Amino acid sequence: MVKILIVDDEEINRIMLREILSEAGYSDFIEAGNGREAVEVARQHKPDIVLLDVIMPGMSGIEAAPQIKASSPDCYLPILFITSLDDEQSLVKCLESGGDDFISKPFEKIILHAKVKAHERTRHLSLEIQDKNQSLTYFQLEVERNHHIVEHIFDNAIGRNPIITDYFDFYTQPEAQFNGDLFLCEQSPSGGVYLFIGDFTGHGLASAIGAIPVAQLFTAMTLKGLAVGEMASRLNRLLVNLLPADMFCVASILEIHANGKNFTLWSGGLPRLAVKTPEQEIRLLIDPQHMPLGILEEHEFDNQTQYFETEWGDTLLLYTDGLMESHHKELGMLGEEGVEQWFTRNSQVNAQLLVDKAELYRAGEAAEDDITIVLFRSRPFQFKLPELLAEPIPFNLSFHLTAQHIKDAEVIDQVVAIVNSIPGLAAIRSELFTVITELTNNAIEHGILGLSSELKAEPEGFIEYYEQRRERIEQLEQGDIWITVQRLMPDNVLEISMQDSGPGFDAASLKNCENETFGRGFVLIRELCQSLQIFDSGKQIKVILPIAPIIDDADITS
Amino acid sequence: MSIKAEVVNDSTFNITIGERFDFSLVTEFRNTYEDLDPRVNQIDIDLSATQYMDSSALGMLLNMQKVLAERQLTYRILNTRPQIARILQISRFNKKFEIQ
Repeated sequence: MVKILIVDDEEINRIMLREILSEAGYSDFIEAGNGREAVEVARQHKPDIVLLDVIMPGMSGIEAAPQIKASSPDCYLPILFITSLDDEQSLVKCLESGGDDFISKPFEKIILHAKVKAHERTRHLSLEIQDKNQSLTYFQLEVERNHHIVEHIFDNAIGRNPIITDYFDFYTQPEAQFNGDLFLCEQSPSGGVYLFIGDFTGHGLASAIGAIPVAQLFTAMTLKGLAVGEMASRLNRLLVNLLPADMFCVASILEIHANGKNFTLWSGGLPRLAVKTPEQEIRLLIDPQHMPLGILEEHEFDNQTQYFETEWGDTLLLYTDGLMESHHKELGMLGEEGVEQWFTRNSQVNAQLLVDKAELYRAGEAAEDDITIVLFRSRPFQFKLPELLAEPIPFNLSFHLTAQHIKDAEVIDQVVAIVNSIPGLAAIRSELFTVITELTNNAIEHGILGLSSELKAEPEGFIEYYEQRRERIEQLEQGDIWITVQRLMPDNVLEISMQDSGPGFDAASLKNCENETFGRGFVLIRELCQSLQIFDSGKQIKVILPIAPIIDDADITS
Repeated sequence: MSIKAEVVNDSTFNITIGERFDFSLVTEFRNTYEDLDPRVNQIDIDLSATQYMDSSALGMLLNMQKVLAERQLTYRILNTRPQIARILQISRFNKKFEIQ
């Protein structure tokens, strides 16, 4: 309903205007007899159109017009002056004071109808715009608020540890401009580093959102020291379940050994990895082997990794395709070869330099995709291992396995998993696996099941041995194994004791059998452990295993 | 994936082991070289994914050599992680396998 304010000191004029406008279908009128009253009424009743007499006692129309306009600051309020004046100067004054049009006295019905109608349309449009502006402002505030929240979550989820990033020269786009690229790096339990470089399909917040679960899972897996292939499988499973069918993540997962020159890579679709020598020659180019993460179902997925080595001083380059897809009007796409040329032509090359060169190459055009670049100069990592930061406390863990447990094919896996889950033992997890598996298998096979290793000396006996193992386990009714694992301080070693309810064995029979297919278990245990003691005619074995990461022979010599 | 085996380049038999190389793989490992293509003259065992290994894995490798003793084959163990390389070194596997 259009509300019309009629302002005139003469009642007869007000009545006439009402009459004429009623004929055109208007019915909502408010009135005022002078300027001051008009301002008051306009503020209170918010009219849509104002018909304003120019000359009135008290406050004139020209004085009142700016104040009436001010009552509707966000929306167009048409003011039509009612006037019998016809000198130019007065008409200009009316317009300058905020008037939008004139209605001349005596009133002409058709003109009046048309003018009010025209201004009503403008008022209506203006109201609509005001309404939309309000909605827009609301949405804008909401988006800003959401961005702040997401940015906060991102900062926390994708925090990179400066102790690790110091070893890398890298470029990533600012996190406030949410992008589909993701660069993660974490220390590995054995003193090396894991890297993840990924590129989700698309841009902006939608493509960035996948980064959070990937970052969380990746970090959890690095703490456990999982193999690169296993990481790829788990990330793929996560993304297959999470992402819509048309979205995936091109990615490389790289594990760098503590010595800084042995690498394990799973690569799904990222541009090929390049390594150059200090003489600026390409040493290695490693093509991606797999489809991106988040496409293939678990049974189709291939987690095969590639292994390669560099020499200290070599430089390794990894990047997302935003860099190689930099486009030049005449020269076309930069391509992998182009990136590699820049990489090898300059001994001082760094990530920012590559970004700058790409910008020059595009000659002012915006990059079509997000860009991430990581460079690593091959050198050993020297992290302070986490277990050395706090004085470890001693513990004593004990297991009692009965026949029912021994029958379970997974029993050794379970024991190993429990021991390996103790914080600080991740660095020796491979050794722990070997030692516990050897000791437990020894207790089961020789102690409880009474199998003879000599059987394994013949090619077919080897399989026969494991056949017999399976049969005897099936028939097993009684048998006990007691395992204790103690951390002894201040030596910081693990004492592992394995005792079984079997009849024991002749320890002398184990000697000098290194070239045979059996007896190797003891050789391994002796070498991995500080000491090995056999008690109670072989029913109990105790070993001492040092809790420190193994030192690669290559590291000592070079 | 626990074991993946395939012939590459006609003459190389490639066996890739998963995260664990232990006694649970005895039969599966034996089956990979059951009907080995006569053209094969080299066996590569890829341990790039292997983090854990016990002595039965060593037994499996040696047993393979015994079973295939009549064939003129070279054996290589590829991509060992440091911990695994140490186990192979302790067991002096470099005498019978080319370890890379």
